[in-house]
Amino acid sequence: MSGLSLDPEQLDRYSRHIIMDEVGPEGQQRLLDSRILCLGAGGLGSPVIQYLAAAGVGTIGIADDDVVERSNLQRQVVHGESDIGRPKVDSAADFVAEQNPDVAVERHETRVTSENVEDLVAEYDVVVDGSDNFSTRYLVNDACTLAGVPFSHGAILKFEGQVTTFEAREESPCYRCIFPEAPPAGSVPSCAEAGVLGVLPGTVGCIQATEAVKLAMGYGETLDGRLVLYDAADMTFDTAEIRKNPNCPVCGENPDIGSVHDVEYTDTCAIGD
Amino acid sequence: MDVDLRFFATFREAVGQKNITRAFDDGLTIGDLLAALESEFDGLEGELLDDTGDIRPQLSVLKNGREVLHIDGTATELDDGDTVSVFPPVAGG
Repeated sequence: MSGLSLDPEQLDRYSRHIIMDEVGPEGQQRLLDSRILCLGAGGLGSPVIQYLAAAGVGTIGIADDDVVERSNLQRQVVHGESDIGRPKVDSAADFVAEQNPDVAVERHETRVTSENVEDLVAEYDVVVDGSDNFSTRYLVNDACTLAGVPFSHGAILKFEGQVTTFEAREESPCYRCIFPEAPPAGSVPSCAEAGVLGVLPGTVGCIQATEAVKLAMGYGETLDGRLVLYDAADMTFDTAEIRKNPNCPVCGENPDIGSVHDVEYTDTCAIGD
Repeated sequence: MDVDLRFFATFREAVGQKNITRAFDDGLTIGDLLAALESEFDGLEGELLDDTGDIRPQLSVLKNGREVLHIDGTATELDDGDTVSVFPPVAGG
């Protein structure tokens, strides 16, 4: 932490944070000093970026290699009509600049791969996974778990969302503790194939942003050890207890995965694929 | 005894409903239940258990909110009134 240095405008901007004993000027300073990486600036990434920027997270990394398409605008609320065709990292960065001048955006206009994920993750305190495919999700899980970087996991399809937080502590489970392997290609459709309710990523992304803010502030309990299954169709939230799997291939007692280079992140993302 | 079943995402589509209740004889295990579901619903055939009778690595099965892998796996016993949830990972963002 760089010491308390809130100026009068910041004391005003963040007054509703600072007035809370649970946050105070120290908690706000921690947010301003924090570095959070958002993987994806799409449906989930949009509300995450909005709320992290509004909260005064000092540095937000945004990794996305897509450009804005018209079909994104039904749910990806940091992008607008005039952004169609622009890189999402640029559109999202412009949104943040307008929302909060305290926030620096680091643009990573690249696809996250096993070649760059370790360097990328190492630069940040917290990672928020809002990616849109299984390969990236398993890659992010393995990289963050091996590096000990806490990350928020959110995923959506049609009317349903799954969200949890993996703190990457000794006793924390990881994504592979729940799902050791990805489904075979084609068995679980993508949002492009099956559709998604436009407001759904707003709800799930806001939970992810909440978790990231708490981790950055060092306050509260996260979803570590709990997976929330959200159904927008009947507005139910089911919570499943999840535990570390002793046989987990990445965080178990005798892991097979010691590096992201041990796995081909294609198809089921299993060892030897 | 009655067991409440909850299905999510692709499994819900295979079953056609989110929640169903089924009556079974006492002594039912998770393995028995998943095999019975594969028999009842065409869309679940081969989706829940692998060739050795273990739960496939691409789904999660909960008994009353707890992952059955951390209880007794397919040997996990069920009682009247238990709720079993079955869900796959999803990846959309």
